[in-house]
Amino acid sequence: MKIAALSLACLSAIALSGCDNVPGRPKKEDRRPEPHHVTDFKTLYSQNCAGCHGNGQSVGPVISMNDPLYLSILPKEQMRQIVTSGRAQNGMPAFSLANGGSLTNEQIGIIVDNIYAWAKNPPPANAPAYSAPLGDVARGAAVFAANCASCHGADGKGLKDKAGSVINPAYLGLVSDQYLRTITIAGRNDLGCPDFASRVPGKAMTNEEISDVVAWLASHRENEFGQKLAPAQQ
Amino acid sequence: MNGKALIQALNGVYEWVDKRLHVTDLFNHTAGHPIPKSSASWFYVFGSATLLCFMIQLLTGCLLALVYVPSAAEAYTTLEYLTFRQELGWFLRATHYWGSNFMVGIMLIHVTQVFLFGAYKYPREITWMSGVVLMLLTLGLAFTGQVMRFDEDAYWGLGIGAAIAGRSPMIGQQVVNFMLGGPIIASETLSRFFTLHVFVLPGSVLALVALHLRMVLTKGINEYPKPGQIVRKETYDKEYATIIKKEGIPFFPHGIWKDLVAASIVIGGILFCVLMFGPKGPLGEPNPTQIDTVPRPDFFFLWIFAIAALMPDYMETFMLLVAPPIIIGLLFILPFINNTGEKSWRRRPIAVLSVILIYLALGLLTYLGQTSPWSPDMKAWSGAETPREFVEGRSPLELQGLAVLQNKQCRNCHAIDGIGGHRGPDLADVGTRLTKDQLVRQIIQGGGNMPAYGKNLSPYETDALVAYMVSLHPRGEQPARDSAVPATPAPMSVQEGEQHAAVGAH
Repeated sequence: MKIAALSLACLSAIALSGCDNVPGRPKKEDRRPEPHHVTDFKTLYSQNCAGCHGNGQSVGPVISMNDPLYLSILPKEQMRQIVTSGRAQNGMPAFSLANGGSLTNEQIGIIVDNIYAWAKNPPPANAPAYSAPLGDVARGAAVFAANCASCHGADGKGLKDKAGSVINPAYLGLVSDQYLRTITIAGRNDLGCPDFASRVPGKAMTNEEISDVVAWLASHRENEFGQKLAPAQQ
Repeated sequence: MNGKALIQALNGVYEWVDKRLHVTDLFNHTAGHPIPKSSASWFYVFGSATLLCFMIQLLTGCLLALVYVPSAAEAYTTLEYLTFRQELGWFLRATHYWGSNFMVGIMLIHVTQVFLFGAYKYPREITWMSGVVLMLLTLGLAFTGQVMRFDEDAYWGLGIGAAIAGRSPMIGQQVVNFMLGGPIIASETLSRFFTLHVFVLPGSVLALVALHLRMVLTKGINEYPKPGQIVRKETYDKEYATIIKKEGIPFFPHGIWKDLVAASIVIGGILFCVLMFGPKGPLGEPNPTQIDTVPRPDFFFLWIFAIAALMPDYMETFMLLVAPPIIIGLLFILPFINNTGEKSWRRRPIAVLSVILIYLALGLLTYLGQTSPWSPDMKAWSGAETPREFVEGRSPLELQGLAVLQNKQCRNCHAIDGIGGHRGPDLADVGTRLTKDQLVRQIIQGGGNMPAYGKNLSPYETDALVAYMVSLHPRGEQPARDSAVPATPAPMSVQEGEQHAAVGAH
């Protein structure tokens, strides 16, 4: 009798609620959107960017998209262009459909706009330019010794228990001069590498110093047979 | 008109109808037929419960067909309409989906019970054989039904089905054309499967159910087997007649009430699943350019999915084309292999062991099919994050190596600390398992189910990748070392490691 009464109560409850609130009824949000119609930034970012750039909290192998300094020096249009066409030399893939990727231009726009919404701080007054021609190699060696040698070693080959080599030919073969410049400016604060303003306390690196040190780093490039490359070949 | 006169009038009408249609006779020969008292058992309700599920499928199927359009262009839209817009459309879809799950599940219990109770033996061979065909038809309905839910699962499921059919020797291409209505999956394919699903297969099921029930009536329902009661061709018919004579009871009402209780439990079970879990899908659109999907069949075919994924390649043709006819053939001729003798499962250890083994294997394969660790995670390369301890403390080259690992889509098959695909081994401690040289060889040449990446990686990319992977060993645990080289007391410094990696890969 008890079971009968209980079943009757359950059935009446369902009947009264009119099947609208049962867990099995599919909701609008359960609908699987066509991949090109996904417009939720979190979903787009976590599926396409977080693997390499981290999600703002986690860290990735390449620069975090939640780095205020990086966002302040990189013009938004340029980021849109990078996401659209990729940066083959650094291994950044092209994400637009036109370039063989999986995102529409609208989706790329959503990603870029929302990444820039993370940029809370205005650019620092002394921020170096995002890009500039290579500087002087000889001066660059001195800049490196003053700003970077304490972690990467006087010769740039790394120090045990501190930081690894920045002149390893394989490393230099996989990154562009612009990549080296961006890292010199923004550092990797999430991994303990300071930015241009805090390597030497009270003495921020200047635009020229950054160009010089990048030139010095780039001068270590070698081809796969260990032969030095002239700047034009790099 | 008083009550008595009314009853008399009704009786008159009944007699008039009965004289022409012989309803009483029909009732006495069907619902009223005598069954052994021992057969009015809870073990004997699964056949009627399967039939009930089929009836539910017919009813809900007819209602679904009012809206569903079997064309490749419109099927998905009508499914979405049914699921999200049509009043109670979701309920209808869910009832049809769960009805099919229950039908397959209860049918399997029915087959198992019949096998364990020796009901296939003399003189019920045709009952069993028609049952085997019914089982195949039910599985056919389940497969074609899965195609009706024309989403990415259906699309790729069809693709796999066509690929299997295409392996047929000599006539592979013709079989595929026949199955798909052309060389590719298109509207013709859906029309074919619709025809199968709503006309050919259900019609065949109805015909065979008639035969199956006819055999149950003519040869009688199997008596509840007792250990030691041996079936002999010479004596069985007389013995069965004696049982019916001595302790026979009419199916209605003595046996049927258990079937009715079971029927209400089945309906309750289906309704519960419908209300709690709802319909399945539709998942993503059936779009062949969309490869970012993990297609998986419905639960009753997960074991086949697992076998297809796990078997070694030299077994493929045998397992796909030779084994199924052998298994079906064996099932079909089972009554002739084992026609007489003991019926009770208590005296048939091999039968019991076979059932346990088959269910263990099916269960394990179904579990593997559900988790499908062999399917790559197609979004891992760009979406799978790397836990902090596997990024921090790495040199620039090693970080670049991690970027290569992501870009070259290694993560789709290899997880790091559980995050990523599970097709290949987890890389979290790969540095303790493989030396630098072994890693280079494995990446360049592949092997052990891994493709060779030599042509897809520049020497620098290989250097970076290997440098990163060498760094993947838990803190305090030594990296793998070449057994031919004497152990060095101190681990290599970062710089030495990198130089070593750079030279080795060139």
